[in-house]
Amino acid sequence: MTDYPADQALLARLRAGEQKAFRELVATYQGAMRAVAFAIVGSRQADEAVQDAWLSVVRGLDAFQARSSLKTWLLTITANSAKNRLKQNRREVLLDDLPAPHGSIGDERFSESGHWLLAPHAWHHDSPDALLTEDELRQCLERTLASLPSQQGSVLHLREREGLELEEICNLLQVSASNVRVLLHRARLKVYATLEHFEETGQC
Amino acid sequence: MLSCKELVALSSDLLDAHLSLRQRVAVRLHLAMCYRCRRFIRQMRLSRAVLRQLPQGQSAELDALAARLAELRRQQG
Repeated sequence: MTDYPADQALLARLRAGEQKAFRELVATYQGAMRAVAFAIVGSRQADEAVQDAWLSVVRGLDAFQARSSLKTWLLTITANSAKNRLKQNRREVLLDDLPAPHGSIGDERFSESGHWLLAPHAWHHDSPDALLTEDELRQCLERTLASLPSQQGSVLHLREREGLELEEICNLLQVSASNVRVLLHRARLKVYATLEHFEETGQC
Repeated sequence: MLSCKELVALSSDLLDAHLSLRQRVAVRLHLAMCYRCRRFIRQMRLSRAVLRQLPQGQSAELDALAARLAELRRQQG
């Protein structure tokens, strides 16, 4: 019995060594796996950690019992590979921040009493589709995402693009819930600042 | 009474439905009275939706990886 019938079908094809099945697997999960590895070992070793993870996945296909989803299994393997790469103790969560290209929504936007000094303008585009038709905006966003410290970027990726729950992110990255929330919030405000800048100036 | 700055600080938790009951009431009250913060939250939700739709690339690289993994699996089996 399994709760993951779609995974079962894919799993059978993977076990048969079907290349298209691997293509599906890689396309679906590589981004999330990279984000997990990136958060744990940083950019220099992330690719190696993901490679290690893929090898473990191929090796573990027969033993995998499908008691969890494929996604959970893959991300757990990735987190473990990344941790194995970290020979020393776990890195401290980098709550130090790096500046983003268009800043954030920082204290300077508010008066001493906490009211908006520089309130948000209404954006011209009011749907994601409308915003994403702008090539330059897409590139601009990519630049902001690339500027995020590794853990901030990974947490944002796992939450927004992979749809992981905060709790799953905490467990995978072994970061406390409050730190995950801090990282996520900082990253979101930077993304906001980039969109705001683009909406106001029409350029990156 | 929550200030705008405090509301912005809670905005991520609002998006993730991670507010305590008390915070939720305070946020709702503030938003009912403050169009600037309503706009901010609306645009925060919009930027989240944009991220979700942002395309992810690098497909040639993934093809190569998939081929290698399938090969490896077949060697094993």
